[in-house]
Amino acid sequence: MAANLAQEDRWIPTTCGVCYSVCALQVHRVNGTVVKIEGNPDSATNRGRLCPRGVSGIMTLYDPNRVNVPLKRTNPEKGLNTDPGWVQITWEEALDTIAARLSKIRREDPRKLLLTGTVTTQDEVPFAKIFAMTFGTPNGWNSGAGNHCGTAEHLFGALLHASWSKLPDPDHCRYLLNFGTGTGSGSYYCVTGMAQRIAEARVRGMKHVAIDPFLGPGAEKADEWIPIRPGTDGAFALAMLNVLLNELSIYDGDYLKHHTNAPYLIGDDGLYIRDAKQQLPLIWDPVDAGEKPFSDPTIKDFALEGEYRVNGLRARPAFTILREHLKPFTPEWAEPITTVPAATIRRIANEFGQEARIGSTIVLEGKVLPYRPVAVMYFKGAQGHKNALLSSMALELLTEVVGASNVPGGLLGMNSCSLGYPETGQLKWTPKADRDGLMVTGRWPNPSPPYPPREVKGAETIDLRGMIPTCPGSSGALPVVMADPERFKVPYKIEMNLHVGSNYVMTFANPKAIEEAFRNVFQVSFALFLDESTYLSDIVLPAASYLERLSHTADWISSNSPVGEWCYHVRQPVVGQIAERRSACDVLLELVERLGMREEFYNFVNLMLEVKAPYALETDSRYSWEEIVDRRYKSLFGAERGLEWFKEHGLVKWPKKVEEVYWKPFSHTRVPLYFEWFKPLGEKVRAMSEKLGIELDTSAFQPLPEWRPCLSYKENSQDHSLYAIYYKIPMQTFSGTYNNPWLDEVSKIDRFAYGVAINTETARQRGIREGDWIEIKSSPTGNTIRGQAALTEGIHPEVVAIAGCGGHWSKYLSVANQDGKGLCFEWLMPVGLDNVDIPSLTQDQCVRVTVSKAGAQP
Amino acid sequence: MRYGMVIDLKRCIGCTGCSVVCKAENATPPGVLWLRVIKHESGKYPQVRRISIPLQCMHCAEPPCLEVCPTGATFQHPNGIVDIDADKCVGCRYCMMACPYDQRFFNAEMRYYFQEHPTPFEQVGYQRHQEGVVSKCNFCLPRLERGLEPACVANCMTKARTFGDLDNPLSEVSKLVRDRGGYQLYPELGTNPSIYYLPP
Repeated sequence: MAANLAQEDRWIPTTCGVCYSVCALQVHRVNGTVVKIEGNPDSATNRGRLCPRGVSGIMTLYDPNRVNVPLKRTNPEKGLNTDPGWVQITWEEALDTIAARLSKIRREDPRKLLLTGTVTTQDEVPFAKIFAMTFGTPNGWNSGAGNHCGTAEHLFGALLHASWSKLPDPDHCRYLLNFGTGTGSGSYYCVTGMAQRIAEARVRGMKHVAIDPFLGPGAEKADEWIPIRPGTDGAFALAMLNVLLNELSIYDGDYLKHHTNAPYLIGDDGLYIRDAKQQLPLIWDPVDAGEKPFSDPTIKDFALEGEYRVNGLRARPAFTILREHLKPFTPEWAEPITTVPAATIRRIANEFGQEARIGSTIVLEGKVLPYRPVAVMYFKGAQGHKNALLSSMALELLTEVVGASNVPGGLLGMNSCSLGYPETGQLKWTPKADRDGLMVTGRWPNPSPPYPPREVKGAETIDLRGMIPTCPGSSGALPVVMADPERFKVPYKIEMNLHVGSNYVMTFANPKAIEEAFRNVFQVSFALFLDESTYLSDIVLPAASYLERLSHTADWISSNSPVGEWCYHVRQPVVGQIAERRSACDVLLELVERLGMREEFYNFVNLMLEVKAPYALETDSRYSWEEIVDRRYKSLFGAERGLEWFKEHGLVKWPKKVEEVYWKPFSHTRVPLYFEWFKPLGEKVRAMSEKLGIELDTSAFQPLPEWRPCLSYKENSQDHSLYAIYYKIPMQTFSGTYNNPWLDEVSKIDRFAYGVAINTETARQRGIREGDWIEIKSSPTGNTIRGQAALTEGIHPEVVAIAGCGGHWSKYLSVANQDGKGLCFEWLMPVGLDNVDIPSLTQDQCVRVTVSKAGAQP
Repeated sequence: MRYGMVIDLKRCIGCTGCSVVCKAENATPPGVLWLRVIKHESGKYPQVRRISIPLQCMHCAEPPCLEVCPTGATFQHPNGIVDIDADKCVGCRYCMMACPYDQRFFNAEMRYYFQEHPTPFEQVGYQRHQEGVVSKCNFCLPRLERGLEPACVANCMTKARTFGDLDNPLSEVSKLVRDRGGYQLYPELGTNPSIYYLPP
């Protein structure tokens, strides 16, 4: 045996799980020990390369702080700093306890079960969602990640791009406007592949303008950095739209007429004017001088401008209303809000409009397509605010009005359209039009996409999502409702939390408030580490990390590159079982049996994971996790490509077609330029909230964008307080990587990674010098955090910026819990609906703070 | 034949992937970073530029570290790579003082990232390192011998690094230096580094 082991030298294909990008790996194992993790050069996703986090996985695999055995708490007292008194138990005892609890809850009211997860457990969370669905609970929360990424941005992804997220066309874009994202700079989707592709774009001359309060990793790579006050990106975008449409008259009329609802006639009530017979939205045909249903084959042209009379009522094309609506939003109006000079906004609008090259075409694979080489990217930085919906709408419309949506050079939905795996025809989806001509996504990661809107229901869920169908994923209202269900007329309390890899205590907002919401819940955690959130757990199960588990669902619509090739991978264990660690999927299957819910569960698995005949799971058999993975692969990729094939080859890939990447010109769907249905939906939400006696501000449900101040903006700034924001860095993913000593070592070298960025002059006024310990006190929460000042000219003078989510305090994280290992921004951010954008349920992430020099380091 | 590297600062995003892959490839112990990325800022708000600059042994054609080494531990391969024979190194650290780029590291005693709990990776990997000696980047010589590029080149996710023969005017590195205005750090010192940077 020893002789055999001594000869082992293997490279094992699998996928990374340190962020949500799902890069392909080949892991080098010598004599049973992982000695290197490299990018798999066969994969189209990351093309053989990895970010620092991907390379560092070895040190997480072997971290002695990892949870190795099931644990139960002995201290009934729960608290953020209270030692749970962990004692080891057997898997049998753990599963008995869990199954008994689950059975009781399922009998009483299954909605009392909550599922919490994160986006880095992209393989386990979707499977756990199927478990939750079968169990009968609609309650799930992707805590930090869900609320700190895209919320409203994902909503518009669905409405305008038929996708969860989007990226600039790296092959043809010539002008990228980047509002608060790290696209190409080590964060956001498809991180490694896009870093490579956007680097190529830089070398070939793409201009990149970053609008950001901080000259962070994204803005550092821009040709121009425009500092902006936090939470005011929407005002910048509105002024740009106004300049484009009203000063420069730059817009893609052809695109607007054929691919948006810009020509739809709107009445003075703000709604579509519909034909009496079929109730279809009407347009005005200027050639025939009359109104026609939008889909009428006799239409000779679509009016975008003018005022008409239909059935005796005033009727105006949506585009005309948008143009009128924008008039007050001049660059001079935006200047005092954003602090960006009006001349700069005008210049950027002009550059963007010119570079859109409206009217130009490009020939790709023999097809003549519109060429619009401009894109607007935004994410948490611009949209993670109280004004998320209306700011995102303004930012999105920039791409729409110039017709740069899903055409060469423009902004591409991340895999809106897939014509399927050529061998089997599986994995096929395309955006479709509904009766009003508006686009419905072909694929969506959650059970139903935001459009068409679901029925507005009462308080069925613990997070207001039942009442607010425009929330695309995770809700920022969850901790508020969970802490006081009665106030929201929710007829039950959360009794149990199935917690699959998320440090939600540190990654949403004020940890004290989160503790209050969760402390009375029986929590079962699948955990890599005894992190801060497990301080509230009752049972902790030793989770297998991404390098120790098998799965097939790591790939999702946002992991494939927007251009190039389709690529689907296997995730497989690269080492034998370590201690008693087990995969969550494996454990969930056992719980399914113990709860006697196999039949329903298998039916959901077949449906959600597209496991079709002859591979569909049959309810009279019991399948292992390996067998389920094998059946799914065969169902998607054919009999030859089962699990064994994937284990050996790692991935399957095939080229993307022009019609998939640049699908818009081939599609008959229209997207809203005027969000007509928001208004009646908002009225329904208001009616429901009034009926239930819940105070809810539904005024942001409106069809056109505007800018509204966040609470931090409204606060009196005469007291010399500053804004605090946080941003993402390439060396850490959310809060989950801070115990990795290699990432720690490189983070320590970068004074911004663990410190607090503050403007040199702002610091001088407070007597703060480089490296000084400073105190940041939140106005709304009263909490204070400490960190070392990193003085820079590259930050807005009103702002301090904190990287990632450090500042751990769990005594079980020996690397991360040391002083000076970053700060946890969330101590500053209050929990409450005042800080939540109601239509998208986005949690705000900017706050007023006072900053002062601290005494000696504690 | 003179091995050299071109680092394109226009491509580089300062992600530190090179630092970490160097640790993985060479199993360097805590505190020993053969490759680091620093930031350099210039300008006044709001006209500010910040760039990332990866730093490692420059493999100088005229290495100041070599001259001061009393034991001959530091030597130059015919291909230009400046290397250290750990068996000859006595840990006097004159070379660390002589290096104008601050790219040499002293491993006083073997430590582990998780103190008394060496990981299986460290148990295997640290066998390559000695205590009480100086170490540094060797352009991944063992990889070169296997026909592979240095780890930092192979892994860089923006393809910012190009490796090749500076003596060959037709090589990719020579071409990049010529076409894109490659420059060395501290050329005035006369060390003639083998690492060139392309402007951001």
